[in-house]
Amino acid sequence: MKKSLVVSGSGGQGVMSSGIMVAQTAVAAGKCATYLPEYGPEQRGGSAKCTVVVNDTEIISPLASKCDTLITMNEQSYKKFGASLKAGGVLIANTSRVISPITREDIVVVAVPADDIAVELGNIKCANIVLIGALIGADAGIITEEAMLNSLTAKFGSKKQEVLDLNKAALAKGIEFGKAAIAK
Amino acid sequence: MAKVLVKGNEAIAEAAVRAGCRFFAGYPITPQNEIPEYLSWRLPEVGGVFVQGESEVASVNMVYGAAASGCRAMTSSSGPGISLKAEGISYLSGTQLPAVIVNISRGGPGLGSIQPAQQDYLQATKALGHGGFRVMVFAPSTLQEAVDLTYSAWDYAERDRNPVLILMDGCLGAIMEQVEFPEMKEPMREGTKNWSLNRVEGVHRSDRLLTPYFPEAMLEMQNKSRALMVKRWEENDVKVEEFMLDDAEFVVVAYGISARVAKEAILKLREEGYKIGMIRPITLFPFPKESFRKLDYTKVKGFIDIELAIPAQMRDDIALEVKDRAPIYEYCRSGGFLFDDDGVYTAVKKILDGGAK
Amino acid sequence: MAVYKRPATLKKNPSGFCPGCMHSLSTKIIAEVVDEMGQKDNCLHIVPVGCSTLNLVYWQGDILGAAHGRAPAVATGFKRTNPERLVFAYQGDGDLAAIGLAEIMGAANRGENFTVIFFNNQTYGMTGGQMAPTTLIGQKTTTTRYGRDAETTGYPMKMCELLATLEAPAFVARYALNTPKGVMEAKKAIRKGFEIQMAGKGFSFIELLGNCPTNWGMTPLQTLEYMESNTIPYFKPGVYKDKYKDEVK
Repeated sequence: MKKSLVVSGSGGQGVMSSGIMVAQTAVAAGKCATYLPEYGPEQRGGSAKCTVVVNDTEIISPLASKCDTLITMNEQSYKKFGASLKAGGVLIANTSRVISPITREDIVVVAVPADDIAVELGNIKCANIVLIGALIGADAGIITEEAMLNSLTAKFGSKKQEVLDLNKAALAKGIEFGKAAIAK
Repeated sequence: MAKVLVKGNEAIAEAAVRAGCRFFAGYPITPQNEIPEYLSWRLPEVGGVFVQGESEVASVNMVYGAAASGCRAMTSSSGPGISLKAEGISYLSGTQLPAVIVNISRGGPGLGSIQPAQQDYLQATKALGHGGFRVMVFAPSTLQEAVDLTYSAWDYAERDRNPVLILMDGCLGAIMEQVEFPEMKEPMREGTKNWSLNRVEGVHRSDRLLTPYFPEAMLEMQNKSRALMVKRWEENDVKVEEFMLDDAEFVVVAYGISARVAKEAILKLREEGYKIGMIRPITLFPFPKESFRKLDYTKVKGFIDIELAIPAQMRDDIALEVKDRAPIYEYCRSGGFLFDDDGVYTAVKKILDGGAK
Repeated sequence: MAVYKRPATLKKNPSGFCPGCMHSLSTKIIAEVVDEMGQKDNCLHIVPVGCSTLNLVYWQGDILGAAHGRAPAVATGFKRTNPERLVFAYQGDGDLAAIGLAEIMGAANRGENFTVIFFNNQTYGMTGGQMAPTTLIGQKTTTTRYGRDAETTGYPMKMCELLATLEAPAFVARYALNTPKGVMEAKKAIRKGFEIQMAGKGFSFIELLGNCPTNWGMTPLQTLEYMESNTIPYFKPGVYKDKYKDEVK
């Protein structure tokens, strides 16, 4: 099934690297994927956005109008892209930074204080992995836990065990939040 | 070889290396920077040469020098830089030197916008420089196609002793998708040995002159042979995708990223019962005239030109073939805006339902 | 016994240059150096746009024609992919110091391993004698009818001095062709430039001060005197940079 994911936030939050990681994970799991970054003139500190499309067969158009899943890493990106989520879609909001109340009732909302969780785990940098975990937990149909664990091992495994462990913990925490949200 | 997820610009760069390209000169310009960045480390790895030129003008002339020795050479840029390279591309064609030029296109005119667009169609297909020469223009729509076309580009360039242009929008330059890279070709100057200025140690050959300047009679003779070459391209080298044309009442014409969004809309409209298909030029020049000629004009009710260019540029080529036998509608965007699935679907549906002017 | 003869690196047909023009003289001494070094087959002459384009029919050896001002860029592409060849560009003042200023500065600054021979006769000869970037103050041309005026056109550009400020170039020198002594010095400098190149030691630049009897409106003899009293005092001959003074003879 063709699924689209938009990752949005501000420059420096790991928006682009999260998108690439999801696309790579999907491809490693035998799916087709496209990743499209959108760069504005403001690359540092401005808004950042990327679109990932995942499908079982070749992707014809990578330019979906509305997305099935939306990750918003900050308030600004939630306001800017919140409306581009399809009815019935999954919103993953980093509630450490998204402060507006989420009022849409036609979507699944996963509210994750990803920054706080990441800091608690020991490194703010793994906040995006918490959000990817939420994506998996909420069963968005894009990537599986197993595939993501393989990706993390491929990426960090050869370097430092503690970095790998940190990311695995971040992923697990995110998955919990995702599962809890759809159980509601 | 397994499929890998790569960025469009890097896909072209790696395909060039595998095609035996061993010289690249370029100048930074968005949205093609990953091509020089990639080749700056990749070419030295395989014994090739990367030069960051002092300008677009200098870069294309460096390619001219490398090509004269029979080395497979490439330069890349985007609209504003291609304008600067126009001089050198004309000289490449005039001196009959093979080379590959890549345009990852952005919004224009002028400095325009760094966002993707397809506003260089006319420049690419009609006049890439002064003097009335033509080049083959490849317009990939997927990254696999970009890889395959780049890989084959020098075979055409060397066969014709003429530059080849790869015209790809900035969206495909930035996108990542899976590609399968072909085998590494060994760089050989074999295909150019009858004319290049390369000298092989121990092999005697007479002195050679490669010049962009000709006495009148020779120049006319060369231009005549170039006219025949263009005719041969039209007969043998057209690449086109004809999609769902058999019973089509409406024919979309689109290339590059636009064709992918259009195809998605066509599939959806087909499900709703509309008889619609698409002609997707892969070579923008030679233009796929035959695809238009063989249509049944008693059935075709209209053409829809979908381009990221305002005013529409490919429309002129479509009109030359359609010859007033059916109306040509347009759905275009410009300025750096991209198409999206719903936008194209809605616009095309409106045309099919007769709601468009 | 010295025998005066035509170098093997020049064709037997006439040069095409005007009578008394020093282009014939400069191309002859370059050809002699190529002969003497036994490099005729290994040499590539990059011919630019201007009167020097006439070398297309005059030079015996491999030739590559370049666009106006772009010879140093073309040379870069060729030499980088054929490092064993002796590559030189022969450029006039309009070609090198006006339209090709970016290319000569870029190539020199990268320290490209080839030689540029710069023929400076202070005019656009081929197009009929317009003002060049090196035209002297007060010198009359078809675009400076009352003489070059520094107020509106600036000053003659000193290329050796400019290039000598760069770190990379190995050898930068200027000689005047209006005396036998100047010709001998110029020939030695060209040889030195070529030897530096063949030793892989980088960029060499030799400026030759020449004349243009046709567009200066003088007899060839008058041009020699004009050069002595006007050109040479402004464009001073000599070595401006010699990085490997003690290493390459």
